[in-house]
Amino acid sequence: MSKRMDLSAAVALVKDGDTVAFGGNALFRSPMGAVKELIRQGRKDLHLMKTAIAYEADLLCAAGCVKAVTAGFVGYEGEFGLCRWYRKGVESGLVRANENACYSVITSWRAAIYGVPFLPIRGMMDSDLLKAVGFHKVTCPYTGEELVAVRAIAPDVAFLHVQKADEEGNACISGPVYEDSIIAKAAKKVVLTAEEIVPGSFFAQDPHRADIPAAVTTAVVHLPGGARPCAVSGCYDMDREELRSFLAAKEPQAALAAAGLEGRELQ
Amino acid sequence: MSQLDISRTADLMVTAIARELRPGESVFHGLASTIPHVAVQLAQRCYGKDLNYVNITGGYRMLPEKLDISTDGDNLFLGTKCRFDLADIFDLAARGRLDTAFLGGVQIDQTAHLNNSCIGPYDRPKVKLPGGAGSAVLVPNANRALVWRTKHDLRTFVEHVDFVTSFGHVGKVFTPLCVFEKRQGLLELSLLYPGVSYEEVAQNTGFPIGSRYQVMEPPSQEELQCLSQIDPDRVRDSEF
Repeated sequence: MSKRMDLSAAVALVKDGDTVAFGGNALFRSPMGAVKELIRQGRKDLHLMKTAIAYEADLLCAAGCVKAVTAGFVGYEGEFGLCRWYRKGVESGLVRANENACYSVITSWRAAIYGVPFLPIRGMMDSDLLKAVGFHKVTCPYTGEELVAVRAIAPDVAFLHVQKADEEGNACISGPVYEDSIIAKAAKKVVLTAEEIVPGSFFAQDPHRADIPAAVTTAVVHLPGGARPCAVSGCYDMDREELRSFLAAKEPQAALAAAGLEGRELQ
Repeated sequence: MSQLDISRTADLMVTAIARELRPGESVFHGLASTIPHVAVQLAQRCYGKDLNYVNITGGYRMLPEKLDISTDGDNLFLGTKCRFDLADIFDLAARGRLDTAFLGGVQIDQTAHLNNSCIGPYDRPKVKLPGGAGSAVLVPNANRALVWRTKHDLRTFVEHVDFVTSFGHVGKVFTPLCVFEKRQGLLELSLLYPGVSYEEVAQNTGFPIGSRYQVMEPPSQEELQCLSQIDPDRVRDSEF
């Protein structure tokens, strides 16, 4: 069965207030095409999730689409520094920072995958994040050991940008996979944006190629360049020019214009 | 700092870290970690320490010829013989089998609390920092955490951090001036870089630094030569 959709129909699966997870990591294979469409469609009050998030959070915060961000790290690497629009949002109280350890973000997804309300993890016990973000402790009924209980979070929609997908929704990721295959299983709906649509026979020849199984996929969008200005392994490098001009902008409108989102009215 | 000072300092930090790594140990660094990455390469290529080195991309024992300002991309993955993802690394640490994790700290206090979260109150911070990434679990779960920070001033080394992002097995802290070691629960100066005075460290540190320290042996010709082969474009200077 074909799950092909155009970008606007696939992004319309997201409703205001939804929890949205993104694949990739920092400035690598982030689904920016879908993120920009979320802004064009004027989604509001989104709760973003990713282990290490950069441009998605900053761009969506600049556009006023974000209610909260659950992540272990919110920032660019190296020459690009901090996410200024996310920072402004948090410092002004408009955006809630649910700062996690990257491991607890992964654990939220794993709990959702396992169908349990929480999972315990080791670590974090002496961190102020427990109180600030609202993590509870749990006592092991077998050993009496105290651990941190991480709440399950099943993202309403996950966006994953991949190199190859078939129209049924199998996907092959080249280069680092990061947390994509975990996110795919945890989310209620999975939208793939793909550089290339390949025939199903590509996967039938060797099912080990499917990092994302069609069994969990909701929609497949053919979107070459769908991670730009982020890099995609084997396809293109980072577009540092867009990132630089986005980060140089002093006003949200100018920042959005630098990202190719001209004339958008801010909420 | 002048470019010359930056280069000299980067070489000292990288060398101090590389000497600290132990033969055969498992070691991890995350993104935005050029200094630890170059140190891992030096430890491997110059001293042959045979590290079980893992990184955030899932690459295993990856020592690329071409360095990148990012430590989160293809060059730490392409060519790996197996995938060992970030989730696997966290799990490894949770079961007590990760020897050393490299982590940063924007604020660090005498008891080696690390703050990567915020300056000012969490709910309405004066400055929202990027977050500790893996540090809240890796600092307690790894057998030791090695911390590095490319600034050494009174805003970094404070009496008390504004917020405890992580606490646990900090072994040593590497700065542009020196190395601190955690002894009986408190950070103390353990190694002064050549050309740096005790007073300079004391004046730029917001807690007592003790008096039991040595002066670091400068990088040898062999170490410097190896460094220039590993990182001819001096990507390591980009962290300053």
